[in-house]
Amino acid sequence: MTDARKQQGEKLTEAEAIERAKQGDAAAFKVLYDLHKRRVYSLCLRMTQNTASAEDLTQEAFLQLFRKIGTFRGESAFSTWLHRMSVNVVLMQLRKKNLPIVPIDDTLEGDEEGTVKKEPGAPDERLTGAIDRLRLQNAVDSLPPGYRTIFVLHDVEGYEHNEIAEMVGCSIGNSKSQLHKARLKLRELLKADRAEKARK
Amino acid sequence: MNCPEFERDLPECVEGVPSPEQQAHLNSCPTCSGLLLDLNSIASQAQMLSAADEPSAAVWNALEERLWSEGLIRSAPAYLPAEVKPSFMQRWRAAWLVPVAAALAVVAVVKLYHPANVGDKNPVATQSQPQAQAPAPAQSARLKHKPALSHEDQQWLSTVSSRPPAQLAKFRSDLDQANAFIEDAQQSLQEDPNDVYMQQMLMNAYEQKQMLYELVVDDSSH
Amino acid sequence: MSTAKCAAKFVTVLTLAGVAFAAGDARKDLHFKVGKHPAISINNPYGPVVVKAGAPHEVVINAILHSDKVEIDQSQSHNRIDIISHLLQGADQYSGVVEYQVLVPADASLSIHSENGPVHAENLHGDVALEGGNGAMEVLDCGDGHVHVKTLNGPVTISNVRNGHVEVVSMSGDVSLNSVSGPYVAVNSNTGKIEYAGDFGGEGEYSFTSYTGNIEAVAPAYASIDVTARSSQGRVDSDFSLEPKHTPFYAKAGSYFSGTLGKAASSVKLMSFSGKIHLKKRQ
Repeated sequence: MTDARKQQGEKLTEAEAIERAKQGDAAAFKVLYDLHKRRVYSLCLRMTQNTASAEDLTQEAFLQLFRKIGTFRGESAFSTWLHRMSVNVVLMQLRKKNLPIVPIDDTLEGDEEGTVKKEPGAPDERLTGAIDRLRLQNAVDSLPPGYRTIFVLHDVEGYEHNEIAEMVGCSIGNSKSQLHKARLKLRELLKADRAEKARK
Repeated sequence: MNCPEFERDLPECVEGVPSPEQQAHLNSCPTCSGLLLDLNSIASQAQMLSAADEPSAAVWNALEERLWSEGLIRSAPAYLPAEVKPSFMQRWRAAWLVPVAAALAVVAVVKLYHPANVGDKNPVATQSQPQAQAPAPAQSARLKHKPALSHEDQQWLSTVSSRPPAQLAKFRSDLDQANAFIEDAQQSLQEDPNDVYMQQMLMNAYEQKQMLYELVVDDSSH
Repeated sequence: MSTAKCAAKFVTVLTLAGVAFAAGDARKDLHFKVGKHPAISINNPYGPVVVKAGAPHEVVINAILHSDKVEIDQSQSHNRIDIISHLLQGADQYSGVVEYQVLVPADASLSIHSENGPVHAENLHGDVALEGGNGAMEVLDCGDGHVHVKTLNGPVTISNVRNGHVEVVSMSGDVSLNSVSGPYVAVNSNTGKIEYAGDFGGEGEYSFTSYTGNIEAVAPAYASIDVTARSSQGRVDSDFSLEPKHTPFYAKAGSYFSGTLGKAASSVKLMSFSGKIHLKKRQ
């Protein structure tokens, strides 16, 4: 693409931006940043629950990416590479702060956080209707940190259990178990939220 | 298969296809089928949350600065407009500082030429709180450095030069504190012009300095 | 006026004043008739000024002058009264002292400028504007109006002010707010401490900022606030477990916390450049 065309405002493709960024082109960095900032930031925000931390971690993730962009050969999708880097940055931060990433023991019986509570004889009502994004967001924010990490990585960001297990340092079984408990907990939270809304 | 057995195998059911046994139970149990539908719904709707939020512009500003400082950016953008969009500080100075500085200058000039009509003044003491003869050590200690005095500041100090030394020292200490606040806030804003909190802090710093000018000069005129 | 009424008034004035006459002191009593919402202004370089709510439609001023080197200039223009302690040649911080005890209608607007003396305003519902240098400033049991306090170095105490618009600016005077609530409460301090004890009620906007002064706010567990705290170089702490919130604003550097309690009815911003910030839970 010639400079003249660019001056007309045509956007770079991701591949073109990557090559230009390797040459140190400022605008190319901006293009890559704009393409992926929302996903990286949302991940950081979901995991840390804090906008200031999320913005710091977003900056750090992109900085690490851009430092290494010269080594990117295109073997995998750029977004996958960036995303994995972001997850590592966030997990490192959580570890630094000694915050729980995943509960170690997923075999606790009667774990109140995960089991479906049912009154004897009472029907378990369905979560009817569409799930509101904001309510789901609030419910995810209310999850215990360990459940939230697995839920965000799997259901929100699309990682497989084997990838999650490798990233967070747990077993695949643990990852599956925590995910299940997270979804059950979310169901409870969303139902409670709906019930409160109906009362008002 | 009963409900507890189904719930035990539920994780696999959600992620994959129910077995014939599980499907048979689902067909006959509205509670378990409702639960499965809800969990599937949550899992599928979760993708709404991906890329749902946007970081503030300051993230890129800070990142860009780091990229420059680490030498990762080696050339200015080839196809962006040549003129640089004025930074926040430049716009802020033009839009805000001029009226603020003008207001301060007006106050200083008006009070500067107001005739004083009070006789000799001795070191001031409050009715119930004797004043220290020197600036409070705690305040001086807090200041990392004394900001330089502007021309307006020097003129302002000259309007109160007839005050007792201890009082003058107190005024000077207050002025240094006010200027230090302004300087620190300005410096922070230069590093991050989009920091809305620091913008508020700078306005507060100017408000304090204006109060200092007004109160001290008001006292001089009586 | 009957003798009995005069005596009662004199006793009342003495009780309110509670001052002792020293040799050389001179008393001056002033009495003004005013209409609704009068405006009273007092400028007193040295000496205390105490203002309380009295009868409607009259302003009563009892002043004790500590020497003949100070005189009181008074003027009334319709509903506006101006009182100035005029220092004469040779006056100093002792001889220039005038002590004021003032009764005003509760709906009066009050403006007091005192370089060195303490100022106390109580039970008023009009606008109150106090300016001082080193003396303590106190506002008590006022509400519904604007309360503006400016001080260089004297401490400021505002207690039991409801439904008010409160603004305080201080250089090094410590500012203490107790049971203060309203649509707008703002404190801007340089090195003075800011202390707040109250419920942040009134669905108001609360803003406490300082350069280096520490900020401490004590709120009950039932407080309903949307709070943001940030210190660029100091520490911030919260005793509350805040509900996280998603905000486009952020703090790039320094310590920071942000979240909501209850229904987040009031907005609370605690900001300092290098002071410590602590949001405490009332025990």
